[in-house]
Amino acid sequence: MLKEVLQEINHANYISKANIALKLNKSEALIEEAFSQLARMGYIKEDDMSSCNSQCNRCAFASLCNKIPVKTVIITEKGEKLLNR
Amino acid sequence: MNTIALVGNPNSGKTTLFNALTGSNQHVGNWPGVTVEKKEGNFKFNEKIYNVVDLPGTYSLGAFSEDEIVARDFILRGNPDIVINVVDSTNIERNLYLTTQLLEMGAKVIVALNMIDEAKARNIEVDIDTLSKKLGAPVIPTIASKKKGIDELIKKSVELMDEETDYKAHISYGENIDREVERLKGFLTDKNLEYPPQWIAIKLLEGDEYIHELIKENEDLNFPDDFKNAIHEFNKNREDYELEIIDKRYEFINNITNVTVKLPDQAKETLTDKIDKILTHKYFGLPIFGLIMFIVFQLTFAVGEDLFGELTVTGIEFLGKIIGNFLIKINASDWIVSFVTEGVIGGVGAVIEFIPLIIILYMLMGLLEDSGYMARAAYVMDNIMRALGLQGKTFISMIVGFGCNVPGIMATRTLEDKKDRMIATLINPFMSCGARLPIYLMFIAAFFPNRGGLVLFSLYFLGILVALLTGKLFSKTLFKGEPSYFIMELPPYRKPTIRNVLRNMWDNVSEFLKRAGTTIFIVVTILWILAVLPRGVEPYSQDSILGKIGMFIAPIFKPAGFGTWQAAVGLFSGIAAKEAVVAILGMVYAGVEEGAELVTALQGAFTPLSAAAFMIMTLLYTPCAAALATIKKETNSYKWPIFTALYTFFIGWIGAVLVFQIGKLLGFS
Repeated sequence: MLKEVLQEINHANYISKANIALKLNKSEALIEEAFSQLARMGYIKEDDMSSCNSQCNRCAFASLCNKIPVKTVIITEKGEKLLNR
Repeated sequence: MNTIALVGNPNSGKTTLFNALTGSNQHVGNWPGVTVEKKEGNFKFNEKIYNVVDLPGTYSLGAFSEDEIVARDFILRGNPDIVINVVDSTNIERNLYLTTQLLEMGAKVIVALNMIDEAKARNIEVDIDTLSKKLGAPVIPTIASKKKGIDELIKKSVELMDEETDYKAHISYGENIDREVERLKGFLTDKNLEYPPQWIAIKLLEGDEYIHELIKENEDLNFPDDFKNAIHEFNKNREDYELEIIDKRYEFINNITNVTVKLPDQAKETLTDKIDKILTHKYFGLPIFGLIMFIVFQLTFAVGEDLFGELTVTGIEFLGKIIGNFLIKINASDWIVSFVTEGVIGGVGAVIEFIPLIIILYMLMGLLEDSGYMARAAYVMDNIMRALGLQGKTFISMIVGFGCNVPGIMATRTLEDKKDRMIATLINPFMSCGARLPIYLMFIAAFFPNRGGLVLFSLYFLGILVALLTGKLFSKTLFKGEPSYFIMELPPYRKPTIRNVLRNMWDNVSEFLKRAGTTIFIVVTILWILAVLPRGVEPYSQDSILGKIGMFIAPIFKPAGFGTWQAAVGLFSGIAAKEAVVAILGMVYAGVEEGAELVTALQGAFTPLSAAAFMIMTLLYTPCAAALATIKKETNSYKWPIFTALYTFFIGWIGAVLVFQIGKLLGFS
């Protein structure tokens, strides 16, 4: 299933976990877990755009900062290798 | 004393259950050698005291984090009599991954199916008896927050402690792996390693570094060559085995939940997916985004200006008159009256007049953000960015820049590639920040009152366009290379909540007011002093220090149609803070024509064409000092803020001159 999910990520224009769940006939929760697993294993890298090193409570611009819930996924080199196998 | 270990995913309610079990009988320490917190407590049942250890929340029992290692080590080496696995009933499938790993370890597991009330509220039905049979472990429904099911959980735990149980649930990893597990087990049995042989065998096949190290460290146990060769072979295909084992665990979970958990209608295309087919369409996505933004700007004017605009202007004028009369009445000196009425009310008041429009705009933007649409906008733009050879994630920092360029520039930190980050940083100032809004609104009120939405939309669109083209230019010259690739996850649409929308609006408006009371006030004060000095000259005239500075700069802007000293000092002050442009124009024009409205004064000083050129200059020219300081901080160099200050000024100037000169040629005035 993990490889299938990775393939879906690779082919998708954008990620909809609901869509992947529907395609693979699995529940969305399981797909959610598969994403976490792929990230834990280093096949993908998830980024919720919160990789700012500033502490929000010390930042004068915190209230104006990113509130857009955009998460991105990058397939890592390890993930690419798996896809090509 | 018997020991119970509590293990579960983060947010499964594990700590609440721990508190429900132990009450106030708990103490906190650290696990030896690591910084992970160790919580222990106890409870009394049938006159006997039981120790409870709350293990760190974890999704898995691999060796990927300290938390995972601490949890699995305690289960395997701490010899707990019972392991209570806290499972979130609303997310059973996800939580069962940890359960399968506990079962693999051969631990005596009881599943506390927590938050069962929430699962019911979400129409999730769980067949508890079948789930228990399939897992081979007792399953007790609990609501830890209401202390429900706790007595039963304790009773069952105590009962199970004395029972001889076996590893009941059998997870098959496929014929090949099952055979290898058995073969390895054969080598490991009788070696007295500190972990169960079956578990070590699975972990060896999974490529668990920690267990491989353990085997290496125990070479003196004289493992036969067959074993060593097998390990060597497995290492060659480590990833395949690992994936296969994990997949089989998911298959095991899926097989169980298929017959025990009934979720509310999931296996059909969601509404989100249906909407996204239209809103993120290859060809229609962008025009729809444009249309939505156009409607937002139109509504801003229709609601903000028409309903509240007049009210605010009258309010500020009224306040100015009251304060002015009061100062005269108490015989305040002329300079104080002048400073307060012309400097503060004329300057800062001119900025505050636009609050109603800003409130409406940020409320509408908040609606889009909270509904999940802005993520779609980022996706739609991502396609264009990629087509231009730019990193799509840049657009997210650009959207943040619409609020303020400082966090917009800071948001570029999320780009991993330095080249992508530099491009995103350098083009962010073209995103029209909230501080520039009052300038547009003022000129729109003076010259384009019936086309406000269209003008505002065009300015924002132009900002994006210039940013994209400049980014493309940079990617071909200064920062060559292929943009890194990523895929965006689109969150489901949701009904915006009034609370979130109002909070978003308030965050922006309060920041705006805060700046009006601090930065703008300081800039206005300094420039007011420059506008009334030296003594003896006509205040707010070209003979004042401010006037002379303005006269020195003004010729640069002559080809753009606004070569007046007032416009020049306005733009000059905008480098300190963009809101200051309106404040300074408010002050210098209020000083020239006492009592005259700023809008009327602008109509005398600008033409519609020069006003358009001025707005374009404002949109594109040098960002404010805070943004430049952020560029310095992010790039760790003075070179880039200086470069940004100069190149943006040049682009702004070119844009303004082109608009004015071409407009003139076309017969506009």
